[in-house]
Amino acid sequence: MKIKLNSIMVENQEKALDFYTRVLGFKKSKDIPAGEFRWITLVSPEGHPDVELALEPNANPDGKAFQEAMFKQGIPFAAFEVDDIEAEAKRLKAASVKFTMDPESMGSEKLAVFADTCGNLIQIYQPTGK
Amino acid sequence: MLHPELLRRLCQTRDWLREDAEPRPSVSEVARRAGIAPHHFIRLFRAVFGETPHRYRSLARIERAKELLIVTGQSVTDVCMAVGFSSLGSFSSLFTRRVGLSPSAWQRKHRPAGGRLRAMPPELIPGCLKLRASIPAKKAIPKKPAERRPAELAAIPT
Repeated sequence: MKIKLNSIMVENQEKALDFYTRVLGFKKSKDIPAGEFRWITLVSPEGHPDVELALEPNANPDGKAFQEAMFKQGIPFAAFEVDDIEAEAKRLKAASVKFTMDPESMGSEKLAVFADTCGNLIQIYQPTGK
Repeated sequence: MLHPELLRRLCQTRDWLREDAEPRPSVSEVARRAGIAPHHFIRLFRAVFGETPHRYRSLARIERAKELLIVTGQSVTDVCMAVGFSSLGSFSSLFTRRVGLSPSAWQRKHRPAGGRLRAMPPELIPGCLKLRASIPAKKAIPKKPAERRPAELAAIPT
């Protein structure tokens, strides 16, 4: 058993693909029509090429309710590791990304949280080892 | 940085924009309820949710219309009015752009003739793995993932 695929629900697959590639910097791996929707996966150029993130449509009303409830409570839906959180936060803010938490040290990590424009809060973290 | 209270209020504005009962609040009324200046509200909403409040509301109405057309079997005009559009033309063109079918074609395709539905048919409620299952395996799963491993990882056993 391997962890190779994870998914994140998004409001609009086309816009999500743009945000996750152009703004966050992931690369499109697959983009295959699947009925009304698309099977879209991403990989990180800085991560393992076999680990993929699927951009799943949030058209399921129960899924959407869960997503909105998490957002309302300020709880991130996914977390991505970064090498330099201050530089990433600065870069994303310059691209008009809204943060709900600026980089802050917590235990052995520095964390920040931003809105992904697709209905989710995303955490980025930098292991500091302190 | 967005204060948690501002985030909470922005979430509330989404609910207000989707309000289904008359009188439906205007975008500036929603901004006023949230205590945010309308101009600032529009910019902030777009930065957080990816759409302007106006477009978010229109798209939410299209989603509602998709369901009503199938479940209630009401006419396109009735559904257009029921979800809050005042112009049949703008409703139909936005619906067609968003869904890929006109409202009447959508209704014909998904509502069984003379049938009654209580909810959206399950094939219209996608899930991640259902989507994956609906495409040919050879496209969904790389044939030989090991070949795509970068050279520096080649020495590490799989």
